[in-house]
Amino acid sequence: MMAMENVSLGLLELSAIREMANTGLGNAAKSISEFTAHNFNVDVPYAQSVALTRMPMLLGESENIYVGIYLPVKGEVEGHIAFLLPWESAQSLWKMVMGRAPRTPAEVDEDAASAMLEVGNSFSGSFLNAISDIAKFSFGSTQPVLAIDTCSAIIATIVGEASQGDADSLAIDTEFFDDEHKISGIFLFLPTVSGLKSLFAALGISKAA
Amino acid sequence: MTTTAVIVGMAEIHVTKGAGVFTCLGLGSCIGICAIDPITNVAGCAHIMLPESFADKPVDKPAKFANTGIPELIGMMERLGAERSRIVVAIAGGAQVFKFGSDCATSKHDIGARNVSAVTEALNRYGLEPKGSDVGGSNGRTVTFTVETGIATVRTAISTEKPLATLRD
Repeated sequence: MMAMENVSLGLLELSAIREMANTGLGNAAKSISEFTAHNFNVDVPYAQSVALTRMPMLLGESENIYVGIYLPVKGEVEGHIAFLLPWESAQSLWKMVMGRAPRTPAEVDEDAASAMLEVGNSFSGSFLNAISDIAKFSFGSTQPVLAIDTCSAIIATIVGEASQGDADSLAIDTEFFDDEHKISGIFLFLPTVSGLKSLFAALGISKAA
Repeated sequence: MTTTAVIVGMAEIHVTKGAGVFTCLGLGSCIGICAIDPITNVAGCAHIMLPESFADKPVDKPAKFANTGIPELIGMMERLGAERSRIVVAIAGGAQVFKFGSDCATSKHDIGARNVSAVTEALNRYGLEPKGSDVGGSNGRTVTFTVETGIATVRTAISTEKPLATLRD
């Protein structure tokens, strides 16, 4: 558990978040399975709350290349969603979806980008659908955008976007796997502080002040 | 290199007198500012996230915003003995790393560009014109600034290290 800039989450809240992530990402795994014709399962090793400006330090002080999919969340709970895949995991995903993968970041063309954006769209949509089922919230759709850069530059940019509002951050480490493939990634859900409060209220737990 | 670089994280400013190496890792839309007064050897580095502080919210970290971060950087350097008129600066960052997707063509994700103009404007208020500048584009950058030599370098995920500016004659 870590202190955040605006709120501090207790074990109860974090375990509720982890539950929610399990359900949301489980649903998202189904969507990836449909895309790839592979039967993916999801594993959420842990959820942590991280102060926005400390996120790059904890997650992204890495100059390894990642593929990042990001979209703002609109609706009753507002915020941001991002999914970051290490380059090799992104390549595996591309191979499954398109039958081929770019060898280098420079080779990512419009086709590869839109394939990944589609995956991201379906992934985030399934995550949000699961949450709206649990919490009875409705979410509006927004368009995802895609980056291929160092992990730190992608995370820093998302933090910049999120810092424009009163977003809080929840980082959820995740792994998708089937018998042959393992796709690891970092899933970020950055609800606004008011959105997080509504979410906890809907889940039936009151948030620690 | 024997000196360990000080990592200047998001919304942070570090200053020193004498020696040191500063690094801003993973500047996406953020901007790294390297500054030095070569006579007093007072140097500083700021990692700015957003163009302008919010009217309705207190500023928790001045270095988060261009309009508060630049005055803070210069103030901190002055407290260590720097002379404002001698300060030279270089800037890097302000990229749009999210370059694919239908919303990229619109102005929805243009924090990088807004950061560049806000930082330039804030520096101009102090009569400062960057001696070196590598901004915009779509690649994240890492900036390293060695105080002894006054040399600032920049690299991206796809390019090797190249000079940004030499802030000492």
